[in-house]
Amino acid sequence: MANWVPLWLHRLGSPPVFYRFAGAVRPWALGLALVLAGVALYGGLFVAPADYQQGDAYRIIFVHVPSAWMSLFIYGAMAVAAFVGLVWRIKIAEVVAMESAPVGAAFTFITLVTGSLWGKPMWGTWWTWDARLTSELVLLFIYLGVIGLYHSFEDRRQGARAASFLVLVGAVNVPIVHFSVNWWNTLHQGSTVRLLGPSHIEASMLWPLLTMMAATKLYYIASLFARVRADLIASESGKGWVRELLAHRDGSGA
Amino acid sequence: MTPGSTSAACAALLRRDLTLAWRRRGDIAMPVLYALIVATLFPFALGPEPTLLARIAGGVVFVTVLLAVLLSLDNLFRADIEDGSMEQLMLAPQPLALLVGMKILAHWITSSLPLIVVAPLLAGMLKLPAPATPVLVFALVLATPLLSLLGAVLVALTAGSRRSGMLLALMLLPLCVPVVIFAAGAVAAAQEGLPWIAPIAWLGAGLAMAVVLAPLACAAALRIAMDT
Repeated sequence: MANWVPLWLHRLGSPPVFYRFAGAVRPWALGLALVLAGVALYGGLFVAPADYQQGDAYRIIFVHVPSAWMSLFIYGAMAVAAFVGLVWRIKIAEVVAMESAPVGAAFTFITLVTGSLWGKPMWGTWWTWDARLTSELVLLFIYLGVIGLYHSFEDRRQGARAASFLVLVGAVNVPIVHFSVNWWNTLHQGSTVRLLGPSHIEASMLWPLLTMMAATKLYYIASLFARVRADLIASESGKGWVRELLAHRDGSGA
Repeated sequence: MTPGSTSAACAALLRRDLTLAWRRRGDIAMPVLYALIVATLFPFALGPEPTLLARIAGGVVFVTVLLAVLLSLDNLFRADIEDGSMEQLMLAPQPLALLVGMKILAHWITSSLPLIVVAPLLAGMLKLPAPATPVLVFALVLATPLLSLLGAVLVALTAGSRRSGMLLALMLLPLCVPVVIFAAGAVAAAQEGLPWIAPIAWLGAGLAMAVVLAPLACAAALRIAMDT
């Protein structure tokens, strides 16, 4: 019988179990993320050939494009966690949704900064009111709104539930914003990497990109788990398992 | 209408909110004065050149109205939450979404309708060409309820929080981007003599969706924010 999967997921909903699981996974995810990021940067900066039109400046895509993917991926992950947290009232899901927001905001910020660094030599301007740039900026504002709403409540749980709801409202609205802004103005190039069908990108440029994507995903996991652990310790500080943990640490430290 | 029926409850709530607003008539004038003053600042900041003003008039009126609506939204549910009537509305046998919808309607009548009435005046001050003014009013009639509905959901979310003013702006303004784009786009198209019906139709579609979904979302958000 394959019912150990739901059973395991069910047990993972308990804070102490998740705390130990996250603690076990985090160093591996972080280490692997650093190794993969190193490999991808080497591949992107030294192995891949220069672009025939953009020269070496295009190499920023090895940071820019994976960050842009992550900014949307994290929003998706956050929306799923928020939905699960609101519907089934699972505490871990709420914490995961709330602790995803700062990581997502950071990736969105990196996307905007690297994009503007690239835009200066290529488009001749740091910023332009282009559709993709504007929707990415709106996404950053939504992330900040979620973080702000979460921290404006006295009660963490209530704040997490309200902010989770905002995440879902944003999830309905972000596509609308994207399409309306697209209709309004567009300059950004279309995407060149496709999941289905051939990509319009050279293989020697593609593999560092995909490696970097894996590295950012693993980094997200590592960063998220570290944040969730800290959040759990803070919000469950009165519970027995946290006291036990601290007593154990003091005992071994002394 | 039989007493206690849903329609009677909605009518009673609407009448109550409008009466309360009418007894504090000064508050109704506040958003209008705010919009007038903000719109007056633009010629001071940008210079009184009529061609420049005519070019930015549509956008300035929309942003001004948006900010005025934002300021008035802050006290949409506050009085009801403070004196406990919100708990009574939640306990009422009628669906909360409908009752909340009535409150949003009352709020729109008292805060946005006066803004729509003065919008042609603002547009005239900013030298918007006369043929574009009816389009501006039409776009506002569709855009302001959309803003009120979207805003009500977010106000409901902040109902239980300590600070809300700036936070509400941070949450609402990014979500309003499509409304501003389509509303100002319609006016810009009318100014250039292009067909302006497409952006108006998009606004109408958005409004139709928001009228159905926003009261439900607002009721759910209130239940989340109020449970302690």
